[in-house]
Amino acid sequence: MTGIYVFSEDPRLAAELATTAAALADEVHVVCLGADASRTLTATGATSVVVLEAAGAPRPEAYVAALAGLMRDRGADLLLVGATVTGWEVGARVAALLDSALVSEASVITALPDGAWQAERVMYAGGAVQTETWSGPGVVTVAPGRAVAAAVPGSASPVEVVAVDVDTRVRVVSRTARVRSGVDLASAARVVCVGMGLAEPGDLALAGDLADALDAEVACTRPVAEDRGLLPTERYIGISGAHVHPDLYVGLGVSGQVQHTVGFRDAKVVVGINTNPAAPLFAVCDYAVVGDAHEIVPLLAAAVRARH
Amino acid sequence: MCFKWVAAEGELRVDPATRAVDASSARRKISDYDRNTIEAARVAAGSIGSELVGLTFGGPDARTGIKDALARGVDRAVHVVADEGARADGHVTAHVLAAQVRRLEDVDLVLCTEGASDTYAHETGPRLGELLGWPVVTNVRELTVEGRTLRAVRVLGADLETVECDLPALVTVVPEVAPAPIPGLRSVLGAAKKPSEQVPVADLGLPAGAVTARTTVTSFLGYVAARRRVVLADGAAQDKVDALVAGLAQDGVLR
Ligand SMILES: Cc1cc2nc3c(=O)[nH]c(=O)nc-3n(C[C@H](O)[C@H](O)[C@H](O)COP(=O)(O)OP(=O)(O)OC[C@H]3O[C@@H](n4cnc5c(N)ncnc54)[C@H](O)[C@@H]3O)c2cc1C
Repeated sequence: MTGIYVFSEDPRLAAELATTAAALADEVHVVCLGADASRTLTATGATSVVVLEAAGAPRPEAYVAALAGLMRDRGADLLLVGATVTGWEVGARVAALLDSALVSEASVITALPDGAWQAERVMYAGGAVQTETWSGPGVVTVAPGRAVAAAVPGSASPVEVVAVDVDTRVRVVSRTARVRSGVDLASAARVVCVGMGLAEPGDLALAGDLADALDAEVACTRPVAEDRGLLPTERYIGISGAHVHPDLYVGLGVSGQVQHTVGFRDAKVVVGINTNPAAPLFAVCDYAVVGDAHEIVPLLAAAVRARH
Repeated sequence: MCFKWVAAEGELRVDPATRAVDASSARRKISDYDRNTIEAARVAAGSIGSELVGLTFGGPDARTGIKDALARGVDRAVHVVADEGARADGHVTAHVLAAQVRRLEDVDLVLCTEGASDTYAHETGPRLGELLGWPVVTNVRELTVEGRTLRAVRVLGADLETVECDLPALVTVVPEVAPAPIPGLRSVLGAAKKPSEQVPVADLGLPAGAVTARTTVTSFLGYVAARRRVVLADGAAQDKVDALVAGLAQDGVLR
C-alpha cells in the first residue's frame, strides 16, 4: 500500500477529496498546482502535499503526463480526481497513460480486504446503480460536495515541489465568465423548476411569482438554460447540473427525463404540473397536477399567499 | 466522429422487489447527444472539404445504428463489432477506437460527445485522444477549423474558454454545439447508398490486455422511486390547486 493521491485544480475540492481518501488509506498525498493552493492544503492533515511546478501559467490539463508520471514513479494505488470538466479530462487521460481502470463520479468507494477496490456509480443517468471492482492502479473521479473539506487543526503537511514538463499544445486564447446568479440551489428549502413547457420569455414572471409566494428558488431544466439561455446555467438541475435536496420541488412544464430527475431525488415532496398525463415526471411525483401551467401557476401562487 | 448504440434509458424495466433491471425490451438508439455531435461533425467536415466517417464499437445490433448515423449525415460508417458477451469498459473502448482511427488514413479531427446517455462517464473521448497522442479539447460548444488550426470554445462551469491547437486533435462536444435535426425521407433513403464496413474486433490485432476490461461489474440495480403519486387530473383548475395546497400544508413543506 503506497497510499492514495488526490488531485483537483480547485483547492477546495482537493480538500474534500483529502477527506474521502483519509477514510480509505493511512497515507494521503495531495497533488496541486502552484504554491497558493499548497498553502491551504497543508492544513488538511495529508501525509504530504506535492506541488507540480512548471514555467508560465499552464492550464491544469497541461499537467496530465506529469501527473501520470508521478503516479507511476511513486507506485500509487489510487488517484482521486475532482469531477469538474477539467477533472473528467485529467482523470481519463491519466487512466489512459497508466492503462488503468477509471470509475467516473463514484458515490461510494471501498478498499476491499484483498487489496482490490470497489466503487459505485450511477448508470443511465440515475436509472441504475452499478458496482465495479478492480485491482491494480485506478483513477476515480468524485463530484464536489461529496465530503466536507478536511481541516486538521495544527496540521502542517510537508510540501514537496516537483518541477515538471507540461503539454503546451492546447493554447488558451481567452476566458470569459457567463452570467452568474450566485445562487446556491443545493441549500434551497423549496425549488420551483421551469421546464421547456413554460419557457417563453413572458413565462418566467409566472414562475418567479410562484417562487416568491413559496419562498423558493427558481431552477430550470438543462435546455431552458443551455438552449434558450433563459436562466443562468448554475440554475439547471440534473446529472450535468445542480443536485438539490429541498423539502419541496415543483416542476412546471418539466417532462421528467431521468437526467433531470436524478438531480432532486432526495427532495421530500415532489410536485409536477404538466399538460401531458403520461409525462415521465408523474411517475416520480408525490402530486401530479394534470393541467396547463399558465393556468395552474397563478392560482397556486394565490392559494399559497392566501394561507399567509 | 464516434457514436454509441445504447438502450433507451426510459424503457428499462426494473423489478420493484429485487431491483433487477431488464433491458431486453428497451429500444436501442444512438446516444442522444451523439446526434448533435454527428451534425457538428458534418458541418466541420464540410467546412474543410473532408469526408466524415462515423465510427462505432458495439455488438451486432449496432448495425441499425449505422443506418441512422448515415441518414444523419456521416458519409461512411465503420462498425467495429464487439465479441458477444465480452464487456467493454472505457479502457477497452478507447483502445478499440484508437486502433480503428489509426487504420483510417489521414484523420485530422475526431469528435466524441462529452458523455454517453448510458454511462455518462466523460471518459472515452479523452482516453482516445491520449492513446492517439493528440491534443485533447473537451466540453466544446463552438468549433471552427482554419487551415491546420482548430479553434474551440469550451464550457467550464460558468466560464467560457476559447482555445486553439493544431490538427490532428480530439474534441469532445456538448449538445449545444449543434441542433440534431430529424433526418428527412431523402436522407434516410440516401443512407442506403452510402458505404459502411463491419470490422470484427479481432481484426484490429490488439493485444489481449487492451481488450480486457480493467473493471468488473459485480452488481447492477435499478432505481425505484418511492413516491405517493397522488394524481390531480379531474375537475376545475381551482379544485386541483386547493387539493394540492391542502396536501402540501399537511406534509409541512410550505413555509
Ligand atoms: C447525457 C445527458 C445529460 C443530460 N443532463 C441533463 C441535466 O443535467 N438536466 C436536465 O434538465 N436535462 C438533462 N438532459 C436532458 C434531458 O434528457 C431532457 O431532455 C430535459 O431535461 C428536458 O427538459 P424539459 O423537461 O424542460 O423539456 P421537455 O422534455 O421538452 O418537456 C416539456 C414538458 O412540458 C410539458 N408542457 C408543455 N406545455 C405545457 C404547459 N402549458 N403546461 C404544463 N406543461 C406543459 C410537456 O408536456 C412536456 O412534458 C440530459 C440529457 C442527456 C442525454
